[in-house]
Order: sequence, then structure tokens, then C-alpha cells
Amino acid sequence: MKNYLKYIYLLAFITVAYILLPVMNADYLYTIQDNNVFISGHTFMMDTVQHEGGWFAWVARYLTQFFYHPWLGSTILILFWVTIYWVSIWMFGIKDKWSFLALVIPAILLYHLLDYGYWIYYAKLPGLPFQPTLLVLSCLLFTGAVMLLTRRLKICWKWKGLIAVGLLGVILYGSNLLWPSSVWHYNYSFRHSIQTTFDKNFRHELRMYRALDEFRFDDVFQEMPTDQAEMPTNLMVLYKNIALMHTGQMDKMFETGNCGIKPELNDSLHIRTSQLGAPLIYYLFGQMNYSYRWAMENSVQYGLSFRGLKMMTRTAIFNKEFEVAAKYLTMLKTSTFHRKWALEHEAWMMNSISFYQSQEYLTIAPLLNESGNALDGDDGLCEQFLMDYFTDLDRANSQLLEDVTMCMSLWAKDYYAYCVHFYDYMQRHSHSPIPMLYQEGAILLGNADESPITLENFRFDDIVANKYNNFVQDYNQLQQQGIDEAEMGRRLKPLYGSTYWWYYYFYNDFNIY
Amino acid sequence: MKLKNILSIATIATLLAACGQHLTVPSDAKMEARLPKIYPDYTEVTIPANICPMNFIVQEGESEVRARFTFPGGEYIYGEEQKILIDETQWQEMLDSAKGQEIKVEVFAKVGGTWKGYQPFNFYVAEDSIDEYISYRAIQPSYVAYERLSINQRNLTNFEVKEIYNNMSVSNEKIGQCINCHSYKNYKTDNMLFHMRQGYGGTMLVTNGQLKKIDLKTDETLSAGVYPSWHPTHNYIAFSTNKTGQSFHTKDLNKIEVQDTESDLILYDVDKNEVSIISELDDELEVFPTWSPDGKKLYFCSAHFEYYNDSIEKSAEMIQRYDEVKYSLYSVDFDPDTKEFSNVEMVYDAASDSINQSVTLPRVSPDGRYILFAQAAFGCFHVWHADADIFMMDLQTKEVQKLDAVNSDRSESYPSWSSNGRWIMVDSRRDDGNYTRPYIAYFDKNGKAHKPFMLPQKDPNFYTFYLRSFNRPEFMIEPVTISPQEFATKAKEDAIPAKYADR
Repeated sequence: MKNYLKYIYLLAFITVAYILLPVMNADYLYTIQDNNVFISGHTFMMDTVQHEGGWFAWVARYLTQFFYHPWLGSTILILFWVTIYWVSIWMFGIKDKWSFLALVIPAILLYHLLDYGYWIYYAKLPGLPFQPTLLVLSCLLFTGAVMLLTRRLKICWKWKGLIAVGLLGVILYGSNLLWPSSVWHYNYSFRHSIQTTFDKNFRHELRMYRALDEFRFDDVFQEMPTDQAEMPTNLMVLYKNIALMHTGQMDKMFETGNCGIKPELNDSLHIRTSQLGAPLIYYLFGQMNYSYRWAMENSVQYGLSFRGLKMMTRTAIFNKEFEVAAKYLTMLKTSTFHRKWALEHEAWMMNSISFYQSQEYLTIAPLLNESGNALDGDDGLCEQFLMDYFTDLDRANSQLLEDVTMCMSLWAKDYYAYCVHFYDYMQRHSHSPIPMLYQEGAILLGNADESPITLENFRFDDIVANKYNNFVQDYNQLQQQGIDEAEMGRRLKPLYGSTYWWYYYFYNDFNIY
Repeated sequence: MKLKNILSIATIATLLAACGQHLTVPSDAKMEARLPKIYPDYTEVTIPANICPMNFIVQEGESEVRARFTFPGGEYIYGEEQKILIDETQWQEMLDSAKGQEIKVEVFAKVGGTWKGYQPFNFYVAEDSIDEYISYRAIQPSYVAYERLSINQRNLTNFEVKEIYNNMSVSNEKIGQCINCHSYKNYKTDNMLFHMRQGYGGTMLVTNGQLKKIDLKTDETLSAGVYPSWHPTHNYIAFSTNKTGQSFHTKDLNKIEVQDTESDLILYDVDKNEVSIISELDDELEVFPTWSPDGKKLYFCSAHFEYYNDSIEKSAEMIQRYDEVKYSLYSVDFDPDTKEFSNVEMVYDAASDSINQSVTLPRVSPDGRYILFAQAAFGCFHVWHADADIFMMDLQTKEVQKLDAVNSDRSESYPSWSSNGRWIMVDSRRDDGNYTRPYIAYFDKNGKAHKPFMLPQKDPNFYTFYLRSFNRPEFMIEPVTISPQEFATKAKEDAIPAKYADR
């Protein structure tokens, strides 16, 4: 039995690794791949090897591509770890019963990979799943080579030491790790973030992003928590609202939960929506320039990525900047797994009819407001910018844009903007039923002091009017009892949590990040 | 003979045969009555007698291409998949032989299994050589963020590129560093400078080969020095000082506006380490100083702009009225011995109602006859203005002309002259609208600019995969010899504060 222990340990490790990687964290690995880039050709190779990580970075970037299929990437990575295991046993002559010690390094590498959490958007470590593994394996192989060499040449320990130091220097130089500027790229605090990797909301965000990216809007809704006790993140709420918007249900935004939180991270990282998803968010709101901007900014600051290249391509096609789109497509066409995407988009570029008939164009086109350009800035706060932009928009030339301006005004709790949009809406849709949300907004406004809305002009559904009266009654009752606002919110949530009124009065922690 | 030996001999014979193989052009090619599509577009360009090989890609056909170069001394044929990669020694032979004449290029491409030939084009080899080096800042066309920036020098007679300085050598997790505005005195590098901002900020100043780090910001000036211009005969440098902001278009494809809410001009006396004001007029935004070759005139741009909304910040008002800012071209006389400025003169009233344009980045030709500048409808940051073009004023006749041969329908900016005045270089976004590339044009003795060519690269596909812009390309007649490490060491030292001197 003893002789089989090393196989049993290894098998156990492989099983755990598969469970933790492709089974539990497929979306995480896919996102890591999406934030990576590998472009065939001399220019990219030279650009990579002259930076931190050098040749290791180039190889690691190449291998990271395979996480496009998480099982494939995981298998390759696990094979490297198995090699580390066997080399360690061979080099250190580890006995069978102690062979589990040879799994310490692979286990640390596995932990290291899962430990990134939100850092996958920020860490400046190209090919991050593979680079540490490649370095460790190289150092082990080098040590083994030194041992073999010195054993054969029968040289003394002094020379062994010198050879070892020399060869180690060559490896480190090859990886550019001896470069002083490289140090800070590895100097990020990723302690405790492993909690994030197993955080449900983090994983929901990853899946929602991918679903939006692939225009699978219905899949986005499945990621919202069903349990009222679980709070989604602000980003999840935004993703959900985008999906509602593109499925014609934006007026359901408060019904489906519109209160989010900022993820609490126990490390030094300050996450921003601008890095987590701004290019796609802006794109899906038809804001091509700002989408391009953030794809570019993130590429500059945190490294070029397939995700960034694809977003820059998409916006360039929408903006009819075909030469620059062609440049990005040429790069994407050299990749193993994004080539198909590139060819599809190249076909759109070459044939405008197929582009204008595509789901992507038809989905976004109604948001391309043809009114004037604005010179502005978002200060890195994508959500705030979108609220302000659409709330202030004075002309909605499509049904979708009309809904967006109404809902954004409500979301931003902007009375007067909502009033303007509501009157416009009622003029255009005087003979149609008013969506419940818009009635809720108007009733709330109409009953406010110095309200710009005269309620008598509109006919609201009895069910809405009665519910509002009940809400006011319950609210006043609790207030008279001297109950504080937070507790009032908790008590009224079961009855009114899906209304705009509850959001308006009790959701004040709008922590935009 | 053993099988192994037979195989070895066969292999060697095959290799020898391959080495001796000469490319030929197809004799049965079907001729097309048009020029071939090549990238970069080098058709009918005038090139310097000392330029590196003009490698290009043939964008015709799918597989094989050939290009026959015919010059007074003979001919060479090249073709490697779709690339025409010219042997450096043979290219030099062609340039030497064709100086003052042409190199004829005939291109053939296999299209659908059939060879096609195209109308030949010429490289016109000028008698005039070009300065051996250029330097530029390699920067991604980003908005606010930046990461790795480098100032590089490129040898134009070959393909060698070296870093003069890169900001990552002193940047760390908390401190980033922006570098910009590399500038040289009389095209030489023993007197040069560039700026560093944010981390380890200061101006890296080389005077007579000695490196110093200076802080040009004084209590009396708006900012440290920006947009430098070295006085040609004395140890002075003119700068602007600026309060600059950025904002972003939601729809306009110009995407970015960079605006100065305030700007003035200063003079830095290198020997005395003294800063003094040249111009700080209210309601005037003075910027882009540049000396005449004799050092007796300073040209600059200035926009008249009055803020009238006290309820908002200047920067906010500037954003609201960004397209009202229009710069005209001025000059002011200068006495280098007394450092006195006098007699401000309007040289070109671009902002006038009749012209209604905005002029930036003026550069006077080495003979003092012409002045180049970039002109667009408004503003000062023409690299992001698609309508920006290069214009030239004849300082003798005051006639202004648009250099049609040099311009495109996309942004052209940052013009500069070679030291002999026969070549002009501009930053152009004609390729794709987003990435700036240096284009070099011949400027003949009659004052005519010729069709420009994009800076040649060893791999003609280089620009497709290169995601940085060539920012602020400047000619140099010699390389910078101070190493990046020396710059980095000096960068970490405290800057010597410049003194302010009243005029």
C-alpha cells in the first residue's frame, strides 16, 4: 500500500483542483482568459518580452488563452502542477509516505490562483494563472539540472553554488524579474481576497457580464438573488437593469430589486465599475465614445486584453471608424479562440446590411440618440454619468430611449427631470395604459409639496392609487410610533419593497463606486 | 556509400541550390492600368539619399508577390509572401546609384492563380540627406490613464530604436510618472530637455552634456515649463506655463478636448537658473513659443478669451465654450544680450472673422523663410482634431498656404523641419484616425512640399500591431548619449528650484 501513496495523494490533489477550478470557477477562469491577450507575431512578442516577466510572460499569456474552455486550461495547468510534484519527489528524494509534501507547492499555486478575486481586473501580472507556475517549474528544473551536472562532474560545493547562482540569474534575467521596475507589479495585496472568489455576488457578476456580452439577456435575471435577505451588488443591479432595458421591461427595475451594495473587500483594493465593466455597460447604453474610452484606459493601465480589443472593435464599427476596427480585428484574428468572433465582426464591417440586421445593432440602435454631442466626463463613475446623462436628455427619439430617460430620472430620484419626461411621455402615449412604475413615480411626485405634476390631469389605476394611500398610512403610523427610518424600511419592505416609493424613502445608501 | 552519407549530401545540395536561387518576375503577367495597393503607400514619394529600406506590403492577391527595383546601376527583385523586404546593402547601393534620379518599382501579385502586373511607380531619390535620428514619445492614445511611457530615438538610416528614457525605471506602485516635451537645441543632444510630472517631477535638463534636474515652477508662474523652445544662440529656453484640463465628447469622433484655462509665456535663463515672464496678459491664452533661427524673434500663439460667467469655475466655462477658443500667430522681437522683448506683432490673424480658425505648434524653417503650423477650427490640441491640417506661411510675402500634398482628411499636427530645411515631418492620423504616425515629406528649394511617406519599418506590418502613437517626433543630428539609467538616477534626486526674476 505504501508504494501507492504518492499516486493516491496526487489523485486526491487533481480531484480537488478540478473541483475548485473548472467545476466551481469556470466563469472566473473564463474572465481571466478574457482579461488576457495573446497576439501571434513579432511585434507582440517583442513588446511582451521586453516588459516585466519577459519570456515567461509571453509563454504564460499563450497558455492562459486556453481558459477560454475552462476544462482545457485547467487540464494544462494541472499537468504543470503534476510535473512539479514529480520533479520535487525526484529531486529531493522524497519517500512515499512523505510524498504529500511535494504537493505543497502546487497547492500554494492553486490557492494563489483562486486568491485573486477582484484583482483579476487590476493585477499587472500577464498570464497570471501560468506565470508563477512556469517560474517555479523552471527553478525546480534548473536545480535538478545543477544536481545532475555536479553529480556527473564531481565538482565541489563551492562551484556548485556558483553555478547555481549563475543559472538562477539567467532564469531571473530571462523573466525580467531582476528589473527594478518589475517589483511593484507583483507587489499587490491579495490577502483575504480568496473570500471574494467564493463570494456568490462576485460569481454572479462574472456570469452576468458574460451573458450581457453575448446578448443573452434572459440569463442575466437568473443571477439576481431570490432570497430577500441577500443583497446584490450595485453592479449586479446595473447589469440586471440593462437586461431589463433590452428586453423591454425597464419599468420592472424596482420590482426586481434595485438596491445594491458595494462589495466589502478585506484588502487594499478599491474596485471601480469603470474597470469591472464600464466598456460593456456604456456600449449597451449606446455610448460608444465612452465605451471606447474605458476599454482604452483599462488596456493602458492594466494591460491589453481580448475583452478590451473586442470592445474597441465593436465601438469602432458602430462609429464607422473602420480602419481602426480593422487593426483590432487583425490582432484578434491571430488568436486561437477569438478568431471566430473577429471573422464575424469583420463580415459585419465589410457588409453593412448584415450589420444593420444583426441582433447587436438592432438592440443598441434605439439608444443612439441623434441629438447633439456633449463635452463632459464621468470622473470614473460610470453609473452616475449614465444617470445624469439620460436624466438630462431633452429629446428621446425612440420608445426605448423614452423608457430609459424616465427610469433613470426615477433611479436618480430627480423630481423635476421625471416630471418633464412624464409629461412628454403622456403626450405621446395618451391613449395607452401607463406602466405601473410610471404611475408610482407620478403619484409620489403629485403628492409632494410644490409638485410640478397636477394629478387631476391623469387617470391612475385604482390599484396603484390605493396602494399608495396604504403606504402613506402605514408610513405615518410607524412614524408616529417613533420608529427610526431603518426599522420602518425593514417593516414596510414585505408589503412595499417592490414599489418605487419604498426605494425612494428607504434606499439612501447609494454608494456608487 | 551509406544511406546517411547520401542523405547528408542531398541535404547540402538542396540548401546550396536554395541559396543560389534568384527571384524572377513573371513574364506572362496580365497588366493592370493602375498603381498597386501597397502599405504603407510609398508610391511616387521623394526619399532622402540616406533613408533606410522602404519595405512594404503588397495588398493584392493572396499568396505570392514580386517587386522589381530598377535603378541606374541595375535591378533587384524581392518578394516574400506579401511583403517586400529589401536587403539593406542592396538598398544602399540603389540609393547611391539613383541619387537625384529615380528607382522604378514594378509590382506583380498572384491573384487567383494568375500573375498580375501593375503600373510602375518611382522612388525619387533626393540629393539631400535627412538628419540621422528622430526622437518621439511612444504613448498609447489614451485619455487620462497612462502606464509605460518612453522617449525613443530612431536611426533613420537603419531600423535601430533605443530608449532615451522610460518612466517605469522610477515608477512604483504609488507613484506614476508622466514624461513629455523632449526638446533639443539646434538639433544636437548636448543641450536638451524633457519634463517629468507627478512622481519625481521636474525638468531633466542637459546643458553642455551635463545633466541637471530643475523645478521650473515658481510662486509667480502658473505651472512648470511646458512646450519648450531652445534659443539658437544663447542659453535661454522659452516655455509656456499652462493650467490644462481634459474633457470627453459623447458622440464627436474627435473624442477628446484638451484645453488651457490659463496660459502664459516664460523665459528660462539656463546659466542663471532664472525664470522670468515674457507675457501674461489678461484674457489672452499665450502658448507654443518658438524662436526664429537667428534668435531675434519669438513666435507664439495666443487666443483672446474672456470669461464672463462668474457663477462657475473657469474650467467649467471653458468646457461650455470650447469651440470659441481660437489661436492666432504672433511674434515678439527679442534682444538676446539684454533679454528684452518688444514690439508684439500679429503675424497671422487666424482667429479673425474672415479666417475663423485656430493655429498651433508653429515652427520656423532653418533658413528663416517659412513657418509651419497646424490649423483647425478651434482649440489647441489638434492631434485630436480630424480637421487639423498643416499650413505654411512665407514670412517674406506673408502668404499662407495649406500644404495639400502633406495633408489628409484626418488630423495632421506637430510639424517640424530637418536641420537642412529640406524635409518636414508631421504627426498624422491618416492611417486609422486614432494612432499618430510620423510622416516625412520632401520640401524642395522652390518651397514646394511633396507627398509624404510614413516612417519605414523593418517589418512593414509593424504599424498594424503597434498600439502606441509616435508623439512629438523631432529631428536630431546625433543620438542622445546619456543612458536611461543616468536619467533614472538623476530623476530620483531632488529638483533644483528655479529662481523667479522680475523684468
